[in-house]
Amino acid sequence: MRIEVEDLVLRYGDVTALDGITLTLEEGKIYGLLGRNGSGKTSLLSVLAAFRRHTAGRVRVDGRPVFENPQVTSRISLIRDVGETVDIGTGEDVLYFAEELRPNWDGDYARALMDMFQINPKQTVKNMSKGQRSAMGIIVGLASRAPLTMFDESYLGLDAPARQLFYDQLLADYMAHPRTIIMSTHLIEEVSALFEEVVIIHRGRVVAHEERDALLAKGVSVTGPAAQVDSFTAGMRVLGSRSLGPTKSAMVYGELDDAQRRKAADAGLELGPIAMQDLFIHLTAEDGAAV
Amino acid sequence: MFDDRSPIYRQIAERIKAEVMSGALKGDEQVMSTNQYAAHYRINPATAAKAFQQLVDEGVLYKKRGIGMFVSPDARERLRAKRRESFFADVVDPMVAEAKATGIPLRDIIRRIEELEGT
Amino acid sequence: MRIPRLLIANGMFALLLWAGFYALVTVLTIGFGLAGRLTHSGWEVAAQLPRWYALFVGVALIREFMPMYIAHGRTRRRFAVDGLITVTLFAPFLAALVTLSYLLESVLYGLAGWPQALTRLHLFTEPTQLPLVFAEYLIEFAAWIPAGALMGAAFYRFRGNGLVVAIPAGALLIITSYAAMGVQPQVPFLFTWLSFDAPGTPLVTVTGGLGVFLAGLLLTWAIIRDIPLRNHVA
Repeated sequence: MRIEVEDLVLRYGDVTALDGITLTLEEGKIYGLLGRNGSGKTSLLSVLAAFRRHTAGRVRVDGRPVFENPQVTSRISLIRDVGETVDIGTGEDVLYFAEELRPNWDGDYARALMDMFQINPKQTVKNMSKGQRSAMGIIVGLASRAPLTMFDESYLGLDAPARQLFYDQLLADYMAHPRTIIMSTHLIEEVSALFEEVVIIHRGRVVAHEERDALLAKGVSVTGPAAQVDSFTAGMRVLGSRSLGPTKSAMVYGELDDAQRRKAADAGLELGPIAMQDLFIHLTAEDGAAV
Repeated sequence: MFDDRSPIYRQIAERIKAEVMSGALKGDEQVMSTNQYAAHYRINPATAAKAFQQLVDEGVLYKKRGIGMFVSPDARERLRAKRRESFFADVVDPMVAEAKATGIPLRDIIRRIEELEGT
Repeated sequence: MRIPRLLIANGMFALLLWAGFYALVTVLTIGFGLAGRLTHSGWEVAAQLPRWYALFVGVALIREFMPMYIAHGRTRRRFAVDGLITVTLFAPFLAALVTLSYLLESVLYGLAGWPQALTRLHLFTEPTQLPLVFAEYLIEFAAWIPAGALMGAAFYRFRGNGLVVAIPAGALLIITSYAAMGVQPQVPFLFTWLSFDAPGTPLVTVTGGLGVFLAGLLLTWAIIRDIPLRNHVA
C-alpha cells in the first residue's frame, strides 16, 4: 500500500489545514507522524482514509485515487479518538459490524485482545472508561488487518501498561502480517523506537521525512564558549540556542562530516546528540519555517 | 533499553559485540532472530535487521539459511584484535592527555600501572 | 439480496422494544378495561409513539452507522445501498409489528367484550381490516424514517443551518404522506399549518407514499454522497 501525495491541499472554509503536502511512503513500514496540535496530522490521515475529500492536489494509495474507491478504501483503516467504529452499542456489537464490513477481519484475534485489555464484551462502549474505549479502537484497528493501518493518537486514553501491551501487540502482529502502519503521536520518546521512518508535519507542510536513525543523526548540539559556537555554526541551520554565562549551547539540524567534527573538537566545542522529542520541538517551533 | 544518544542499530551492534567479547555469546552459538530481538526490545524489526547485517558485514555473525544467525567462531578473537589495535588511540592517548590537563605526572601513572600488574 | 447486519441489528432491537412496549400497553389497556373506562382501541393511541422511534432510527442511521461504514473502509455509495435495503425492509417490519398489535388487541377486546372503536379518520374503517392497517402504517413509517435520515444528514453536515431547512422539509414530506392517504396529519402542532388536502384515492395514496419515501432518501443521498466525516462528535 504505497502512498503518494502531491501538492495536497485541504481547506475547511477559510482554514487551510494542509498547505501543499508532497510525500511518498513506501509500503510495509511503520511510520511515525509527528506534529503539534493543529499541524495537519489528523487532516492528512483523514484524506488518506477517504474520510474527506481533498481540496487540491493528488492522493494515490496503491497507485489509485482513494475517495469513494472501494477497492482501495476496503484496504485502509484509520482509528481515531472520535471512535466511529466503536461507539455502536456493546463491545460485541462492535465486533459484529466489523466482521461484516472488514474483509480481513480476524474475530478470534479481536476477542483475544479484548481479554488481554480486560474488556467485557457485553458492556456498552459509551459507558466504558476512556482507557477501555481507546482499547476497543485499537483492537478494531489491529484485528482489521488492513494493508494500510493508521492510528491517529488513538491510544492516548490508555494507561502506560496498556500502551506497552498495545506496542507489543502491534509489533508482533506487524511481524506476523506485514503491512503499512502510520502512527501519529505526541508520546514521542515512548514510541519512536517502533518507527522505521519519521514524518514531521508543521502548519500543514512536511518539515522532515527521514529514517528514524537518520533524523536523529541530523540533530547535533554544539556547546562551548559563545563566540566559538557562533562561528562554528555560521551558515548552518540553527534550530535554537541557550546561553548560561559565557557558555552557549546551539542546536543544529544537518549532518556533520568528519572534517567538521574535527574542527569542532579543535575549537574546544562539545558535540552531542539531540533527543527525538527535542528535535521535534525545535523543528516545529512557532518561528520555525518549513524546509 | 536503547536511548537517543546514537542510532539504535549501532547500539544493538555494540551490545552484541560486548556480549561476544565477554563470552556471554560463544562462537557458533545461535543468536535471537531479528524478529525476536525486535519484539524483546520493542524496536522496529528493520532496525534490528540493520544491526545484524552490519555485524554480518563485520564478520561477527554469519547466516545459516533457513535456520538463523550465529556468532562467528572467531568473532571474539576478531573483536579483541580490533580493540587491541585501537586501544592505544582510544584509551591510552586520551588518558595521557587527561593526565596532562589535570597535572598528574606520568611517573605516578606508571607506578600505579606497575602496582596493578601484580593483581 | 444481501441482508445487511445494519438491518438485522435494528430489527432485533425494534423487536425487543416492541415486546416491552406491547406488554406495557396491554397492561394499561387491561387496567382501564377492568376499571370499566375503556371506550376505544388502545393501540390507535399507542401506535402514535412508534413513528418517533422510526424518525430516530432514520437519524441514527446517518449519525451512528454512516461514519462506522466509512471508518471501516466502505464507500458512502455502499452505505446508501445497505441503508436503502434496511429502510425498505424495516418500514414494513415495523408496520407488521403494529398490525400484529392491532390483531392481538382485537382478540383481547373480543374476549373481554370491550369496544375496539376508532377515534379518527384512517385508511381503514375497522381495526380488523389488517391489510389497510398495514398499508397505513407502512406509508407512515416510509415517510418518518427517511425524514429522520434527511434531518440527521443535514445536521451532521451543516449543523444548525442544516436543521433549519431539514426540519420543515422533513415535516413537509411527512405531511404529504398523510395528505396522500387522505387522513389528518399526525405531526406536532408547530407544523400543522403546512398541511393540505389531496384526493384520497388509492392511486394517489400509493404514488404519494412511494414518492415521499423516494424523495426523502434521494435528498438524503444528495447530502451524504461526498459528506466528510466530522473530526469531533457533537
